[in-house]
Amino acid sequence: MPDCQIMYLRNQRKLSKIATVKMAIQSVKAIEPLVYDSTRPRIAILEDAVELFRYRDLLWSLVQRDLTVRYKRSVLGFLWTMLNPLFTMLVLTIVFSALFHMAVENFAVYLLAGLLLWNFFSAGTTMAMSNLVWGGGLLNKIYVPKSIFVVSAIFVNLVNLLLALVPLALIMLVTGQRFSPALSFLPIAILLTFFFALGVALCVAALAVFFVDVIDIYQVGLMILSYLTPIIYPISIVPDRFRFFIHLNPMYYFVELFRQPIYQGTLPELGLVARAALAAVVSLVVGWWFFTRKADEFAYRA
Amino acid sequence: MNLPTALESPGARRADAALAVRLEDVSVRYRVPREHIATLKERAIRQLQRRVQFDEFWALRNVNVEVRRGEVLGIIGRNGAGKSTLLKVIARVLRPTTGSVWLRGRVAPLLEFGAGFHPELTGRENVFLNGALLGFSRAEMEAKFKHIVDFAELWDFIDAPLRTYSSGMVARLGFAVATDVNPDILIVDEILGVGDAEFQQKSADRIHGFLRSGATILLVSHSLDAIRNLCNRAIWLDNGRIVAGGTADQVIDAYLGSVAAREETRLAQEQAQPVQQDRWGSGEVEIADVRFIDARGQARHVFSTGEPMTARIRYHAKTRVDKPVFGIAIYRGDGIHVNGPNTRFADFDIDWIEGDGEIDYAIEHLPLLEGSYDFSVAIYDYACVHPYDHQHRLYKFLVQRGSVKENYGLVYLPAHWEHRRT
Repeated sequence: MPDCQIMYLRNQRKLSKIATVKMAIQSVKAIEPLVYDSTRPRIAILEDAVELFRYRDLLWSLVQRDLTVRYKRSVLGFLWTMLNPLFTMLVLTIVFSALFHMAVENFAVYLLAGLLLWNFFSAGTTMAMSNLVWGGGLLNKIYVPKSIFVVSAIFVNLVNLLLALVPLALIMLVTGQRFSPALSFLPIAILLTFFFALGVALCVAALAVFFVDVIDIYQVGLMILSYLTPIIYPISIVPDRFRFFIHLNPMYYFVELFRQPIYQGTLPELGLVARAALAAVVSLVVGWWFFTRKADEFAYRA
Repeated sequence: MNLPTALESPGARRADAALAVRLEDVSVRYRVPREHIATLKERAIRQLQRRVQFDEFWALRNVNVEVRRGEVLGIIGRNGAGKSTLLKVIARVLRPTTGSVWLRGRVAPLLEFGAGFHPELTGRENVFLNGALLGFSRAEMEAKFKHIVDFAELWDFIDAPLRTYSSGMVARLGFAVATDVNPDILIVDEILGVGDAEFQQKSADRIHGFLRSGATILLVSHSLDAIRNLCNRAIWLDNGRIVAGGTADQVIDAYLGSVAAREETRLAQEQAQPVQQDRWGSGEVEIADVRFIDARGQARHVFSTGEPMTARIRYHAKTRVDKPVFGIAIYRGDGIHVNGPNTRFADFDIDWIEGDGEIDYAIEHLPLLEGSYDFSVAIYDYACVHPYDHQHRLYKFLVQRGSVKENYGLVYLPAHWEHRRT
């Protein structure tokens, strides 16, 4: 009898999980009437994704809010998104090519391409943390899928990245950089980086809800990682015995993926793409799994 | 083999079509670290030393509630009893630690007005953002927008940034968005009055509109009148547990009984230590104590409007005193002097006193309405100029609502109404 009982329980679990999937699909189609049952066996990973989709209008509202609020009171408005990396690039170009005689041809384009992608990653993940921690006051007042604060942060910075492609194109024109057909690979490079950044953001943001100093620790980590990523220097200056560390750094792949079509005008080799895709998938799955597992506890903390 | 099919148990529970909300054995536990550990570094060290200790705090314990469709359930209890936690569990903000929450229908939680409002955005942008936070789609919000702004009466400012609004305007906008819904289940934490008197009337009308529309409503309020008037049923929470449930009247009476009992202990403790500064007199006669006696001869501190109350004053006269005058005075807690009778006004002459004795001031039907009252006692000479002992507002008693339903003003005047069609 006990065996039978266990079998039954297992079957029940399996069956009700199938039912959950069915219900989740239904709830996407028909929002009303809603049934909420806190004991329903949940596949948090799936359920939160469904909820995120149901709240997609909120996602756009949050993205819109962050973009509008940021530039509302400034005269130049959205132009800052484009001017900011330009100024940084200008300073770094002067410092590195004039003072250190960095031996990189067309250093401005090399630098700007790497910088833009790095900024997308670092600003996105950082903003996700502060969104969830400081905007978290909402979490114990109304019900919203919590991941929405993280996803919106990455989207906001994606928009910033896309806008910053305009000054990049300008610099390419001015410096006589060739516009190669390989540029058509950029959407894939950006998309993979997007997923990687989202996964990392989900992890660190969930941690930051519980421990505020994660935000500071992460800043230090970002700084170290930025030096491990060939953005202001070419990988050729790194001695062979240290290359290993750089290859351990996933951001290196994403920067390469993004920079090669722009700077070298070539498609990245398949091995590189595969490794980047793997990193993106692992990051997203782990991040989503960790975040949804912890999300129910957020309201208890805030 | 007669095993139930896999989906039978949850399915059977959902089958009850008349049910809107069901909470089964719901408990919510907050774990508060004994020492505040906000940093990862500290936490890591503590974890290694196995010294992370938590204080457990159960905000809700084994709460069972069923609400049928169209029912209005009132939730009462002291501050910190778990009322808001209960609403949050139903509003999906908190997932219960154990137990289950089941509900059917669109929920409108009126817990927080203007959630996520941003000062830099315009009123219009905030309406859409706030609506999205409440779970409405862009299309739904576009359909509602005109109605919302009409209700909030903010057309003149709708494209100005929210930081230029007065706090009343912000509150109006938040209320208008949150209540522009057609919910199956409405969760209300206090029927909050926002804005000016006129808008308060409008917002109260809207809440009453929900009541009439037959929505299921869960209402937390400290206003027992509101609960009595609006709710069919009520539950009383204390320390996270349901102490009583039943019709609103039953539960409120039980609750008031317990409040009275608690006040009783508090006042008894307070009067055990008399204050000396509000006492003066030459001391030939001293007032030993004052007790308030109910119809059954029991000393109490809490009375209901309309019931008999006798103030019994015990005195001790060290020497023989001729023709003393005993007087009392009642003040409402906020200082209003209610009355001040004495034995001379009443032509109740006492020839002399010596040694111990007591005097009663008997009120047949206590006319005072709900509130706390101070009581003064004094013994004077016959001319009422020389105090032997005067104790100013040293004693206290409480009046709570009894069979008399009036609650405006100070006193209940025994009177009756008549009506003639002429």
